[in-house]
Amino acid sequence: MRLSASAIALVVGLLFNLGAHASERPQRWVSAGGALSEWVTALGGESNLVGVDTTSQHPASLKALPSIGYQRQLSAEGILSLRPQILVGTEEMGPPPVLAQIRSAGVQVEMFSAQPDLPTLKGTLQHLGKLLGDETKANELFSGYEQALDQQKNWLTKAQATQKAPGVLLLLGHSGGKPLIAGKDTAADWVLQQAGGRNLATHSGYKPFSVESLAGLSPDVLVFSDRALSGDAARAALFRENPILAATPAAKGGRVFELDPTLLVGGLGPRLPQSLKQLSAGFYPSQAKPAP
Amino acid sequence: MTALVKPKTLFIGLALLCVLAIWLSLALGPVSLPLLDTLRVALRLMGAPIEAQGLEQAELILGQIRLPRTLLGLAVGGVLALSGVAMQGLFRNPLADPGLVGVSSGAALGAAIAIVGGAFFGGLPQAFGPYLLSLCAFLGGLGVTALVYRLGRHNGQTNVATMLLAGIALTALAGSAVGLFTYLADDATLRTLTFWNLGSLNGASYSRLWPLLLVSAAVALWLPRRAKALNALLLGESEASHLGVDVERLKRELVFCTALGVGAAVAAAGMIGFVGLVVPHLVRLLAGPDHRVLLPASVLAGASLLLFADLVARLALAPAELPIGIVTAFIGAPFFLYLLLRGRA
Repeated sequence: MRLSASAIALVVGLLFNLGAHASERPQRWVSAGGALSEWVTALGGESNLVGVDTTSQHPASLKALPSIGYQRQLSAEGILSLRPQILVGTEEMGPPPVLAQIRSAGVQVEMFSAQPDLPTLKGTLQHLGKLLGDETKANELFSGYEQALDQQKNWLTKAQATQKAPGVLLLLGHSGGKPLIAGKDTAADWVLQQAGGRNLATHSGYKPFSVESLAGLSPDVLVFSDRALSGDAARAALFRENPILAATPAAKGGRVFELDPTLLVGGLGPRLPQSLKQLSAGFYPSQAKPAP
Repeated sequence: MTALVKPKTLFIGLALLCVLAIWLSLALGPVSLPLLDTLRVALRLMGAPIEAQGLEQAELILGQIRLPRTLLGLAVGGVLALSGVAMQGLFRNPLADPGLVGVSSGAALGAAIAIVGGAFFGGLPQAFGPYLLSLCAFLGGLGVTALVYRLGRHNGQTNVATMLLAGIALTALAGSAVGLFTYLADDATLRTLTFWNLGSLNGASYSRLWPLLLVSAAVALWLPRRAKALNALLLGESEASHLGVDVERLKRELVFCTALGVGAAVAAAGMIGFVGLVVPHLVRLLAGPDHRVLLPASVLAGASLLLFADLVARLALAPAELPIGIVTAFIGAPFFLYLLLRGRA
């Protein structure tokens, strides 16, 4: 009798505890960061999202949600009108006085690092997993990610044994005007390195280039990261307008690739390994088969 | 130019418009609050003994977000319009705007130094960053204006034409310096800079509001006292001094008030164009060139215009927000054209 009573107490206690936990977890989410929104979705939290910023473009279904504008220029009342319980974003989120106002309205504000490295991603995923109540899934996602990047690295080591790393330039869209070239200390530079390319640009940040110095570097590969320049027709038009660009070894050899510009903001996102695989397959055509 | 409207009618109309703008600015926003709650909280904030029960959300939105924002809009709009009148009076040209003496470009340079320099030194501390940005913008505006004024002085006389040209030269110089900083900036910094240049009343807080309120109150109290001298200056500098106006002192005061007022406004809300140029012009079209009417009426009109523009800025794309600099020109310019064409007919 006594045993069953305490068992009941235990069960009731557990149930109560579980219930308490579930209600403590934030149910209404606003995300101000492209990669974060993708991770929240991957962790099964898409139905919890009630608003996203303009950098959250993937998956496409997120575009149907109310837009809170650009992550650095958030509006306190706009976000509060969505009655969120939590606001997640990277350290680029702001301005700080608006975040303070949102916090004082009782909304949990969680800032994550956008640093592109695995330890940071691990922390981000674990934290998100805890907030969404699915830590197992978060750990699974992370180990899968780690594995994919490891495979990428192994594949690259093998490929580089037979072929020299190609010289690459990444052209960031400036739709219509002159493209900007990605230099050192950029997310684009990191992506190029991970894909096994040698970035020919030595400046730091994204800078406009004269076509002449661009041709002087004679890149083996060109990577376009511009929504306005996607598709063969747009690229053919660009080459027609810029004969010098068309005369580069890259254009002559047809080694021109695309990279989704949304991959370059807000830290490591879930679509990155797949894109790296595609890029490096283009960088090392002699290694017949891309990474499994 | 004759007045279309009697001063008394104009003041009553503008005062009503301003009260309406304030009320709408408090009552409307992305969060829809019941009208009754807005009223009760407004009374509570004014010290009426009303229970806070059930009003926490409304009180937070009204007290911490909309009220500081409304006050910021009033001060910025008023002081920008007032500085516009001062500059148009000083240069005796209705096309003059506060940017002419270099205060806007100086502030932009100060802001660019703070934003890009801050990012270069590893990012500004979160708590400290916005203040440093405001301070740099304010000092930049004041510094460049002082330089313009200094260049315009010769043998104890201030030559307005030289000052104008010096202002243009220094604006170009500051502009190229801002361009250089833009080139050096990384992507994220660039976005911050761009948005700053479009202005916003977003994120207004009391701690950053007080300096602006003090400065704009001082300017708004001081300049109307010089209305008669400004009227005399309309006749020409030598005529004004024959009428007993200390013209040198007047010029000094006008430049100083503009630098102070516009500097503080820009520091608090970023660059908001158009108000300083067009509001005085608009009021002049309605009420004629008498500065005794023009100065106070411009304060009311500028404040109202900015509040209406801010309403559009925060409601048009809610829950996101438009930079207000876009909106001021977007609603102000067509209205201005309408008045211009109507006046011609």
